[in-house]
Amino acid sequence: MRTYDYLTDPSLGVQFSLGLLAAVAIALLCGVLSVLVVLKRLAFIGQGVSHAAFGGVGLAMVFGLASTEAGLGQELGMFFVVVAFCIASALGVAWLSREDSSRADTAIGVVLAGAMAIGFLLAAHAARRAQEAGELPPPSIETVLFGSFLTLGGADALIAWACCVLILGVLWLVRRPMLFASFDEEAAISAGLPVAKLRLLLLCLLAVAIVVTMRLAGVVLATALLILPGAVALRLSLRLWAVVGLAVAVSLVGTIGGVVLAFELDWQAGPSVAVALLAIFLVAEGVRAIRLR
Amino acid sequence: MTQATPGAPSGPTSDATEPAIAFDRVSFRYPGTEAPAVEGVTLRVEQGEFLGVLGPNGGGKSTLLKLVLGRLRPTEGSVRVLGRSPAEAVASGLVGVVAQKFGAELAFPISVRQCVELRSTARLAPWRRPDAKARGRTDRAMELVGVSDLSRRPIGRLSGGQLQRVLIARAISTGPSLLLLDEPTVGIDVEGQRRFADLLNTLRRELGLTIVLVSHDVRSIVAGCDRVACIARTVHSHTSPEGLTPAVLAEVFRHDVAGIFGEVHVDAHDAASCDDPSHTHDHGHAGEGRP
Repeated sequence: MRTYDYLTDPSLGVQFSLGLLAAVAIALLCGVLSVLVVLKRLAFIGQGVSHAAFGGVGLAMVFGLASTEAGLGQELGMFFVVVAFCIASALGVAWLSREDSSRADTAIGVVLAGAMAIGFLLAAHAARRAQEAGELPPPSIETVLFGSFLTLGGADALIAWACCVLILGVLWLVRRPMLFASFDEEAAISAGLPVAKLRLLLLCLLAVAIVVTMRLAGVVLATALLILPGAVALRLSLRLWAVVGLAVAVSLVGTIGGVVLAFELDWQAGPSVAVALLAIFLVAEGVRAIRLR
Repeated sequence: MTQATPGAPSGPTSDATEPAIAFDRVSFRYPGTEAPAVEGVTLRVEQGEFLGVLGPNGGGKSTLLKLVLGRLRPTEGSVRVLGRSPAEAVASGLVGVVAQKFGAELAFPISVRQCVELRSTARLAPWRRPDAKARGRTDRAMELVGVSDLSRRPIGRLSGGQLQRVLIARAISTGPSLLLLDEPTVGIDVEGQRRFADLLNTLRRELGLTIVLVSHDVRSIVAGCDRVACIARTVHSHTSPEGLTPAVLAEVFRHDVAGIFGEVHVDAHDAASCDDPSHTHDHGHAGEGRP
């Protein structure tokens, strides 16, 4: 049991616990949000925004905010740069598809490809510059793409919990109009609710959640955490609070299970978490298929 | 003809002397289009009245409803709803609406009661729970449309007719004075239409509602309404349901008919056989229904 050895090791235990603490906050946050992502069909825009985060990371690297041994100040600086980049991308998609939401498809494709390309170029530039100046190299592109559990530290745990409390708090405050607008947009508009603003708010919250999640699961797999728990829960129940509870449970089990899997089998954290969630999803799909027979 | 709202004492209050809807020479043109969607519409609906609005597809019926709901602002003229601006009337829960298409996802994980409460709790402070009065209104709305026994059933496990009644319960859950219905009986058989007309009569009697029902289908209009307004860009006529003669219908649906059979010529005298002979029949001109 390598996980157990790590946890009880006097020097590595603290680091491991902090990483786990961050992972739990991420799982909680994604569990709740995933229900809205699935119901509001935001999976693809989530994918677009998370890939846009790569552009933000590239930018942060150029500013020297993304070194491998960053302190809290640098971590926060990088966090805000990437969040700003993601929110700008999400709002950009919303703006490009403002007249016809079916055009969001193309807008997301444009933003996704553009931000990825810019991110790669900026990251390569930053790495070359650091090498020439003899400084610490920025994190590898692979870490940004697929995440890493071992690089999660105190700053990540702090940021993850702050965002978790903030986002879930905002969602709680707007839960009633948000639910109405998610369920029946036309009726919510007719009831005079600010449906367009609620959608923008949700996109911004999603962007922040993605930035927090990508430290663990990477740019490519952050959406696994933001889709799969909700998809599983909605396959198993049609009761609102049961769905939210199930999604959180699935998210926690999948995330912690994935991290343990990563340690035991020496896999990378992001893919491990995604695979654990996928396994739960397949079981849920099987359960549903049997029920429907 | 004004009428108090006896059955809805717990709902938001509206001044009983104000008309439910007052359009004064209202025109609306969608941005980027040449022709106005509605033009020169003057329309007055008294409280307690049941008005049918009949018109062809694309005749401006939905635009009319959006103007009443404050979703669109008139390019010209003014709209008052229960003596206030449409947005105010909607925000204070005085206007209930059942939309034509139910755009929502049926796999949405909410129960019938949760669905009915969406409208009445949408503006409640987040830390508040619905009070006894609001819960009573929800109970009453569900009872009136006959879905009380389905309270806990997930919305996805309802038949089409049950779902429609749930949506009506949601529309009346704030205790409104005015209920708007957009093509409510599309795709419903004759028996279903009759039951629906009975339901509307019950609601009107019990809650003292003003009802405006919009449709392109003549059959769904005639059942139970006091007055019919025909709209094809402008309001062509006000008439009792009996006044819907073939000539009036031919005039209102001229473009629909022309699309199928070629241009139809209607004798203007025949078409004017409704209770207000003074209006004009020219398309595109301010054919006000009432002076």
